[in-house]
Amino acid sequence: MKGAALLAIVGSALLIGVAYASAFLPRGTPGWAPWLFVAGMSVMMVSTMALGAARDGRIGRLWIPFAGVLVILLGGFGLVLALPPADPTDPALWFGLPPRAAIVLYGIGFLPFLLVPVGYAVTFHQQTLGPGDLERIRDEALAARGDMPLASPVGTPPGRSPGATDRAPADGTRREGGS
Amino acid sequence: MTGSLAGMALILPQVEGLPHVVEPTIVWVAVAYFVVVTAIGAWATRQTRTAGDFFAAGKGIGLVALTLSVMSATLSGFAFIGGPGLVYSIGLGAMFIILPAALTNAMGAWVLAKRLRLMAEIRRTLTLPDVIGARYRSPLAQGLAGVSILIAVIGYMATNILALGLVIDAVFGIGLAWGIWLGMGITMAYAVGGGIVAGIYTDVFQGSLMAVASVLVFLFTLQAGGGLGGISTTILQGDPGFLGPWGHLTPIAALSFFFVFGMGSLGQPHVVHKFFMLRDPLKLRWYPLLTTTALIVSMLLYFGVGVAVKSLELQGELAPLANPDDATPLFLLGYTPLILAALVFSGVAAAIMSTVNSFMNIGAAAMMHDIPVSLGRRVGNELLWGRICTVIISVAAALLAQHSGMLVALLGVFGWGLFASTLVPAVAIGMNWEGATRAGAVASIGTGLGITLVFETFAFFGFYSFPVGVTVSGLSLVLSILVFFAVSHLTRDTADSTLDPDIRVVMKA
Repeated sequence: MKGAALLAIVGSALLIGVAYASAFLPRGTPGWAPWLFVAGMSVMMVSTMALGAARDGRIGRLWIPFAGVLVILLGGFGLVLALPPADPTDPALWFGLPPRAAIVLYGIGFLPFLLVPVGYAVTFHQQTLGPGDLERIRDEALAARGDMPLASPVGTPPGRSPGATDRAPADGTRREGGS
Repeated sequence: MTGSLAGMALILPQVEGLPHVVEPTIVWVAVAYFVVVTAIGAWATRQTRTAGDFFAAGKGIGLVALTLSVMSATLSGFAFIGGPGLVYSIGLGAMFIILPAALTNAMGAWVLAKRLRLMAEIRRTLTLPDVIGARYRSPLAQGLAGVSILIAVIGYMATNILALGLVIDAVFGIGLAWGIWLGMGITMAYAVGGGIVAGIYTDVFQGSLMAVASVLVFLFTLQAGGGLGGISTTILQGDPGFLGPWGHLTPIAALSFFFVFGMGSLGQPHVVHKFFMLRDPLKLRWYPLLTTTALIVSMLLYFGVGVAVKSLELQGELAPLANPDDATPLFLLGYTPLILAALVFSGVAAAIMSTVNSFMNIGAAAMMHDIPVSLGRRVGNELLWGRICTVIISVAAALLAQHSGMLVALLGVFGWGLFASTLVPAVAIGMNWEGATRAGAVASIGTGLGITLVFETFAFFGFYSFPVGVTVSGLSLVLSILVFFAVSHLTRDTADSTLDPDIRVVMKA
C-alpha cells in the first residue's frame, strides 16, 4: 500500500507540475490544465492520507472513506468544470446556492467531513493506536537503540539525571556521518 | 493574480487601516478580555518550570485544549477581517483557502500526529526541526528548517502585530504605534512568562470566544441578507461571476489555494507543533472530529459576512467598500447588537494574539535551540534563553511592523508557502517513507526556501511575476516534493544509514 501511495504522490505531483507549466505557454493556460490539476491534487491528498494511515502496509477498512473522498473530489470538481453557469434571470438554487457553488461548498467543502474524521475515529484502535500500543512501541524503540549514548534531554533541570527514557540526545541527532 | 493573494489579504488592513469603533461597550468588553488573558498568563507562568514546559507544555495538555488551541492558531485575524474582505472582493474563489478544512485535520492526524507524539516520547523532540534532525541524523537539515521557520515566523509575526495594532487602535483610538506596543506587550507578557502553557490556555478561552461569535454573526448575516437564498438571488442578478465556482479567480488560481492550504497544512509548525504536547496519545482518536467541527463553525463568519456585505451593496443598502477589510467592522456596527460587535472585536484581537503567541514560541525555539544545535552548540539554560529569545523576536517583529513600511508586507507574503514548501516533504512524507534520504530532505528544504524567497521578492518588487493562476507557494510546494523524491531516489543507497533503528520503529508504528 505504501509503495502505491508513494507512486501516486509522485505521479500526482507531476500532473500538478504540468498543469502549472502549461500556464507559461504563449497562448495562456489551456482548457485541459484545470482537469489535470484537479486529478493531481485529489490523488495527492488521498494518497498522502493513505501513506500516513497504512499500518503493516495495509489501510484496512479505511479504503472506504478514502475512496469516498476521492470520488467526492474528482466528481465534485469535475461537475463544477463541466456544468454550465447559473442563469441569473431564473436561478435554480440548491439549499440557497447556485448548483456549482453548492457543489463546491456542500460537496467538496463539507461531505468529506462526514467521511474522514469519522473514519479516523472509528478505525483508530485498529489502524492508528490501540491501548497498550504506546508502551509496546516505546519498549521496542528503546530496545532498538540500546547502544545509543546518554545525554541530558531538553527540559531536564540541571543536576537531575535523565531516566530510562531519557537516553537519546535532546535534539534527536547523533552525527552527520553514516551508521 | 500572482501567488501572493492570501498573504496580501492578510496585510491589507495595514495599508488601509480599519474604521474606528470607539464605543464604551466595545472598550469595556475589550478591557475585560485583556484582563482575563493576563490572568491566564499569570497562572501559566507559575506552571512553567522547565524548557519542556515552556516549549511543549510538559506533554501535559488534554484533548479539548489541543483542539481549541489548534483552531485558534490556525485562524488568526485573517478569518475575521481579511477573509471576509477577500470573499467580498473575489467571491467564492476566496473559499478555496478554507475549503480543505474538512480534510486537513484528519490528514494531519494520520500523517503526523501519532508519529510526532511518539517522537516526543522517545527522543524528547520539542520542535519540527528537531524531528527533521533526528529523522535524517542531519544537523544541516535541522538548521535549514530552523532558518526557514525563523524567516517565516518574523514575517508572520510582524504582519499579525501590525493587524493587532490596527484593531486596538480601532477599538481604543490610541493610535497605531501605541496599539502595536500595547498588543505586543500583553502578548509578550504571557508568552515570556508562561510560554506555550500560557498560549494553550489563552487559546482555549480565545477559541471559545471566536466560535461563539462566529455562529452569532452568521445568523445575523442571514437575517440581514434575507436568508442564503435571498443573498444568492441578489448577487446572481448583480454580479453572476461572484457565486461562480471559482468566484472572480481563474480555475487554476482557486485550485492552487486548495492545494497549498490543503497539502501545506502538513507543514505549519505552529499547528503541528502542538501534537508534541498531548498528555494521552489515545485521545487523538477524537482530535480530527472535534477540531474540524470547531474550524467549520468558526469559519461561518468568513463566508457569511463576505456574501452578506456584497448582497447589501448590490441592494443599495451599503456603498461599495473602498477597503474590503471594512466588510466585517461595517457589518458589525450596522447590523448586529453592540455587545456582539464588541465580542467579535475582542475575538479578532484574540485570534491574532493566539497566532502571534504560537509564532513567538516556535521562533524562539528555532533561535535558541534548532539553529545552535545545527552549528554544534547548545545553550545552557534553555528556559531562560527561551524567554530571552521570545523577547528579542517580539521586539524585532514589533519594530519591523512599526517602521519598515512595505518590507513587512513582503515578509508577510512568505509565511504559509515557506512553511509548506520547506517542511511538507521532509516531515510529512519523510516520517512515513523509509526510503527518504538526508540529501533528499536537504535538497527539498533548499528548493522551497530558494524558490519562495526569490520569486516572492521578484513579484513583490515587480521584477517578474508568474502567469495568471500560478502561485509561488503552489509551484514551490510541488517542486520541493518532486526534488525530495528525485534526490532521495538518486541517493537511495544512503537511505538505511540515515535512519536510526528507534526512529524506524516510530515510523512503522
